[in-house]
Amino acid sequence: MSSRPSTIAERLIDDLSARAPQHSRDADLAIEAHGLVKHFGDIHAVNGIDLRVRPGQVFGFLGQNGSGKTTTVRMLTTLLRPTDGTARVAGFDVLNQDRQVRRAVGVALQEAGLDILQTGRELLRLQSRLYNVPRGEIEDRIAHLLEVVDLTDDADRRIGGYSGGMQRRLDLASALVHSPPIIFLDEPTTGLDPVSRQNLWEYIQRLNREDGVTFFLTTQYLEEADQLCDEIAILDAGEIVQQGTPDGLKATVSVDVIYVQVEGDEQAQQRAVSALLPLPNVEDAQWDYNEGVAIYSKSGHDTLPRVVRTLDDESLPFSNLRLARATLDDVFFKATGHRIEPADQTAPTTGGGAG
Amino acid sequence: MTTAQAPSELQTSASREAGPLQVLTDARHLAVRAIRESVRQPGVEITNVFIPLFFLAVSTGAIANFSERGFGVENYLAFQLPVAVLQAVAGSSAASGIAIVLDMERGYFDKLLLTPASRWSLIIGRVWADAVRAIFFATIMLVAALVAGSGMATGVPGAILILIIAGLFGGAYSGIGIFIAMRTGNAQAAQAGFLLFFPLLFMAPAFAPLAVFDDWLRIIATINPVTYIMEGMRGLVMEGYAWPVTEGGQIVFGPDGLPLTKDPPALHWAFVSLAGFSAFTLTIAALALRSRTRAD
Repeated sequence: MSSRPSTIAERLIDDLSARAPQHSRDADLAIEAHGLVKHFGDIHAVNGIDLRVRPGQVFGFLGQNGSGKTTTVRMLTTLLRPTDGTARVAGFDVLNQDRQVRRAVGVALQEAGLDILQTGRELLRLQSRLYNVPRGEIEDRIAHLLEVVDLTDDADRRIGGYSGGMQRRLDLASALVHSPPIIFLDEPTTGLDPVSRQNLWEYIQRLNREDGVTFFLTTQYLEEADQLCDEIAILDAGEIVQQGTPDGLKATVSVDVIYVQVEGDEQAQQRAVSALLPLPNVEDAQWDYNEGVAIYSKSGHDTLPRVVRTLDDESLPFSNLRLARATLDDVFFKATGHRIEPADQTAPTTGGGAG
Repeated sequence: MTTAQAPSELQTSASREAGPLQVLTDARHLAVRAIRESVRQPGVEITNVFIPLFFLAVSTGAIANFSERGFGVENYLAFQLPVAVLQAVAGSSAASGIAIVLDMERGYFDKLLLTPASRWSLIIGRVWADAVRAIFFATIMLVAALVAGSGMATGVPGAILILIIAGLFGGAYSGIGIFIAMRTGNAQAAQAGFLLFFPLLFMAPAFAPLAVFDDWLRIIATINPVTYIMEGMRGLVMEGYAWPVTEGGQIVFGPDGLPLTKDPPALHWAFVSLAGFSAFTLTIAALALRSRTRAD
């Protein structure tokens, strides 16, 4: 409440906007966040995130483990109180209207949160009741969902006997019992086999296309973000470092990338990078442990021979020279300074000043 | 949960959807699930039957022969029956804390928190289930002791009263496990919730009447609510009803300012103690839940 409005007209407008139903203010946004911050003591998990997700979008959060994806999801779904900032989901404030938020969203967290002593059907039934699904509709709804996630035959077995993939599918079904307009999926396909992953993608796309469901998903798979998302935010050390459509993001990286493995220690790599950076058309050059030196160029064909010549001049032996189109991987690398490392591959990385 | 600050319009819509009835309905669904959990792992529950029966048998076997000479208790099995009931009930209720920690570890607790169900229904559901389980285990203790010849001075109505007290004690005790689970999220700590039962039960007239206790122990026992719960049950088993003496519908107070009762331990103190005990445990459980779901 800053200065008092002076004219009658101003006061009237003030009064009207104060009385207007709160959700009408940003009715066209499914998810909205301003300056979202979460600190756990000294650990700054999320450092000021702004979000605007429109209804019907599939919005992806791309980042490594520890980049703040899960923390953000937990704040948006009312499980965690932000240290600072505000967020509205389905038009409701996540702090003061938490129950309305929970009613409007379906959530499947990273670890399938299930009770192993119940059967799949019992779990869905309890879930339906807690979401106040009308009694007469519960059994039909459950039967439909079980079919969708391909668990009809196992519905009356205890969850403890389910495989990891089955548990994830059941977890997803449990997020859908109340047909929510907004669904949060935290790394939905991590640990799934390729077939299940493909099925899940298709299901997400179908729900999005046919029912207009908004998705907010986090992933550490570039391919997943590329395939599914209308918009991607790259998250690193608790901040959004790059955001846009998959194609738009790829366009921010120069059209071509030249990869080359320079032999020698880290010093040799750095020497190569410094020598290559000034070449014409080269926008950036970076080195990382897995991919070697990556040179981003507006014109790969022009740059390629110059790379060879420069490395020769510097007496740096090299191998595996190749030219490629930019991928999301390159966008990610350029934005964060490191390659994305899914949790199940733990190769060491260097480079990147991710605090 | 911060509805106090919400505009009145929201408050009414929230209370319409989440009134006390809705909380109880949600709690009932959660209680059914919690009971199903016990039924499906009978191995976990068997200790709640075995340990108190074992104690009942060995303490009676060791002490019954001199209890009359020692401290004037003729029927020691009957004297021990409330102890067995309370022990079985505490054991089964302490398991709730562990169950909640397991839910947390498996992520199921988050899933429940993500539903629009009231947070309170998560507690009430557990308490409810524990009360039901308490009555179940108390029934086993009662039947076992009756078969062994404890007798029941107040007959079937008294037995029902004992089961009611057991149910209330079970619900109250469950608050301790919930508190520890919410506070620590640690299974070992939750397991230790059962240990609290030892001072509560044995710093009470569990093995002998208060009259023969050393002063220090008697003083502790006098402020221990379990003493009154135990004595109230014991009166029902051994002697009869002991409601306060009334005259013309008015409770008669003795010279110490307390209600005057007949000889057996006063039953109403059992209920007063239960009310105080459950108010305490459920309050700390509720506060722990609140700080867990708010802060993190």
